[in-house]
Amino acid sequence: MRYLMTTKATDTDAPDETLYAEMAKFVEELTAAGVLLATGGLEAGGVRVASSGDTITVTDGPFTEAKEAVAGFALVEVRSKEEAIEVTRRFRKIVGDGESVIQQVFGP
Amino acid sequence: MIDASLPPEGVRRTIDAVWKMESAKIVAGLTRMVRDVGLAEELAQDALVSALEQWPESGVPDNPGAWLMAIAKRRAVDHIRRSARLERKHEQIAYELEQRPPDGEPDDVLRLMFLSCHPVLPTEERVALTLRLLGGLTAAEIARAFLAVEPVIVQRIASAKRTLAEAEVPFELPDGAELTERLSSVLDVIYLIFNEGYSATSGDDLMRPELCLEALRLGRLLAELAPHEAEVHGLVALMELQESRSAARTGPSGEPVQLHEQNRGRWDRLLIRRGFTAMLRAREAGGPPGPYMLQAAIAVCHAQAATAADTDWPRIASLYETLSRLLPTPVVRLNHAVALGMAYGPVAGLAVADSLTGDPALRDYHLLPSVRGDLLLRLGRREEARREFLRAASLTGNDAERAFLRRRADGIPAPKAPTFTLWQAARDFLARDDLDGGTARSYGQTLRRLRLSLGDELPLDSLTADQVAHVFRTAWGEAAAATWNRHRSAVRSFCTWASLDDLAAGLDRRTVTPARTETIDAARLDALWNLPDVPLRELTLWRLLHESAAGVTTVLSLNVEDLDLDDRRARAGGGWVSWRSGTARLLPRLLAGRARGPLFLADRRPGPARTPAPADLCPETGRGRLSYERAEYLFKRATILLDPAGHGYTLRQLKPRG
Repeated sequence: MRYLMTTKATDTDAPDETLYAEMAKFVEELTAAGVLLATGGLEAGGVRVASSGDTITVTDGPFTEAKEAVAGFALVEVRSKEEAIEVTRRFRKIVGDGESVIQQVFGP
Repeated sequence: MIDASLPPEGVRRTIDAVWKMESAKIVAGLTRMVRDVGLAEELAQDALVSALEQWPESGVPDNPGAWLMAIAKRRAVDHIRRSARLERKHEQIAYELEQRPPDGEPDDVLRLMFLSCHPVLPTEERVALTLRLLGGLTAAEIARAFLAVEPVIVQRIASAKRTLAEAEVPFELPDGAELTERLSSVLDVIYLIFNEGYSATSGDDLMRPELCLEALRLGRLLAELAPHEAEVHGLVALMELQESRSAARTGPSGEPVQLHEQNRGRWDRLLIRRGFTAMLRAREAGGPPGPYMLQAAIAVCHAQAATAADTDWPRIASLYETLSRLLPTPVVRLNHAVALGMAYGPVAGLAVADSLTGDPALRDYHLLPSVRGDLLLRLGRREEARREFLRAASLTGNDAERAFLRRRADGIPAPKAPTFTLWQAARDFLARDDLDGGTARSYGQTLRRLRLSLGDELPLDSLTADQVAHVFRTAWGEAAAATWNRHRSAVRSFCTWASLDDLAAGLDRRTVTPARTETIDAARLDALWNLPDVPLRELTLWRLLHESAAGVTTVLSLNVEDLDLDDRRARAGGGWVSWRSGTARLLPRLLAGRARGPLFLADRRPGPARTPAPADLCPETGRGRLSYERAEYLFKRATILLDPAGHGYTLRQLKPRG
C-alpha cells in the first residue's frame, strides 16, 4: 500500500550541512529498500485556483497561513500503516521539530 | 520514544513493521558472524522476542534496527563462547566480534540472497526461504500468500536450512562464470514470487498484490546491491512495467481484461516511469541483453503506445525473435507468432503458429488454438476460426476465459447446412452396443485426443489421413509401440464403422519388442559399487537387490525383526530373501542398533497429512518406510552417468542375469 507523507513548513533557520548529509543518506537507504517511490520539496506559496459556480479565481501566493502550507512530500510503498509510521518517525528524528502527515493513497 | 499510551497491540504491530524492515540486515550480519544461516535466524528471532518483551514497557528505542542488531550480536557472541568454551581460538573470535561495530557489511544482504536462492535447494524451498529471510515474512504469512498450510512452509524452510548446512554452502559472493549462473537463480526466484502474485495460478483472486509488492521490493533492493548487472535492472523494469498495469488488468467483476483492451488511463504512470528508468540503467550496464531485459523491452513498447493501435509491433516481433533464441519456450514462440501477425499480417503469424501445432508441449495449451483462431478469422477463414475458438474453450481450465472464447466462437455464424461432425461421429461410434467396456474406454481415449486436437466441430467428411497422422505424431510419437498400435486400431475400426477411407493410412504399424529388462553389465556394476558419496542406505539396498535377486517391493517391505544376520537371510512373505558378503558387511551399520521396524527408512518423518500404517513406521525414529518411487528416483539419479543411454537405470535392472 502507498502512503503520502507531507511535511509542513517550519520557520526555523536554513538546514545545515549535517542535516543535508543525513537526509541524503536516509533517502538513499529508503530508495535502496524499495520503499521510497518519489519525493520532492515544494515552493512556498504557489498559485491558488478556486472555483465557485462558474467562476474560477486564480490567486498568486504567498498566502497568509504559510505555517499550514506543505513544504515537501514523500510517496512510500509499504506493507502496513505501521511501516509508514516507522519511516516517518525516522524522518522526523532527522529534521527536528515540526509536523508531518501520512495518508494512504488509493488508486490509480 | 513512541507514545507510551500506545496499547500493546499497537506496539506489537510496530515491532512487526520494524522487524520486516530490519530482519534481512540482521540475519545477514549474523550469518557472517556464525556462518550458519539457521543459527543466525534463531539468534535474530531471540532478539525479536526480547523486543516483544521489553518495548511495551520501555517504549520503542530511537534506532530500533541497531537495538535489535546489538542484542542479536550479543547472543551470537554468547553462543560462540558457550559452544567452544575451552578453545582459545573461538574465544579470540568472540572477542573480536565484540569489538566490531554492530553494522553489517554492505554486501551481507546480497550474500544472503545468493544463499537463499542457492541451486542446491529445490525451487519451492528457495522461494520460501527468500521470503522468510529477505522479506521478514512469517511462515503463516508465506503460507497464506501461497494458499498452503503453515506446517508445509515451516517444513520447507527447515529443510532448506538443513540442506545449506549439510552442503556447507559458504557465505560468499560468487564470482566469474558462477556469478552469472547464481544471479540468474536469484532473478528467477524473485520473478517466480512476482508471477505467483501477478497471475495467481490458483485461488479466487486473479492477483495477490502483496506477493507482487514483495518481489518488487526484493528486485529494487537487488538493483541497489548489484548495480552493474544489466539483467537485474531488466527484471526490475519488467516487474515495474507489469505492475503498472495491475489496476487495468481486471474488469468490474474480476474478469481478466486483455492488454489491447485495457484502459491505458488506469496504468500507473509512476511505475511506468520507474520501469523506464530501470531499463536505462540496464542499458548503461551494457552487455548483450538477456531474457529479462528483452521481456522488459517488450513491456516498454507496450507502455510507450498511447493506444493499442499505436503499438510498435515490428519492434516487438523482432524482440520476440531474439528472445525465442535465448528462451525457446513454446509460450515465447507463440507470442512471437502473435507479434508477427500484428506486425506483418495474419499469413506471417499463422506460419509460425502452425509450426507449433506439432509440439507435444503445446498439445493442450488453449492459447495456441485461440491465437490460430484469431489469425484465421483475420484471413477470412471463418469456419476454421470458429472451430479453433471452440477447441480453445474446451482446453482452458479457467471459467472466465472459457466464456470469453465461447463468445468469440458464437460471434461467427455456424454453417447453414448441418454437417455431421467429428464429435457426433465419435459419440455414435462409442454408443454402439457391440463394444465391450474395455474396448469402448480404449477407443474413447483415441477419439478424445482426436477431438481435442482437431476440434469437436470438424466436419467428419473433411477429416484427412494427414491430420490423423499429425495428431498421432504429436500425441504418441514417443509412446511405446503397443500404445501406438492400440490407438491405430481404434482409428481403423472407426473408419470401417463410418465407411470412411482409411484414415490410418499414414500410420505404420509398429513392431512391439517384448518388454525385457536389460541387466547392468559387470563393468558398470563394478563402477556402481565404487561410486563416491553414495549414502549407506542406498548402497545396502542396491547390494541386497543384486545379491538376493529378490523383487524390489519384497526387499523394501523387509523389517528389521525378520532379519537373520548369521544365516544371511530374511523371512519375506512365504519365502526367504538371502544375501552374500557384500550386503552382510553393510547391514550392521545400516541397522545401527535398531531392533524393529522397516529395514529401509525414509529420510524424514512423514508429514502430518499422511500417516502411514503402523507397520511402515519405525518405532524408534518415527520415520516411515522408504517408498519404491523414492528409491527408484535416487537410483536413477545416481546412475545417470553410468547408463550409456543417459536415462539412469531402474532398480529391477540390478537383478543378475539368468
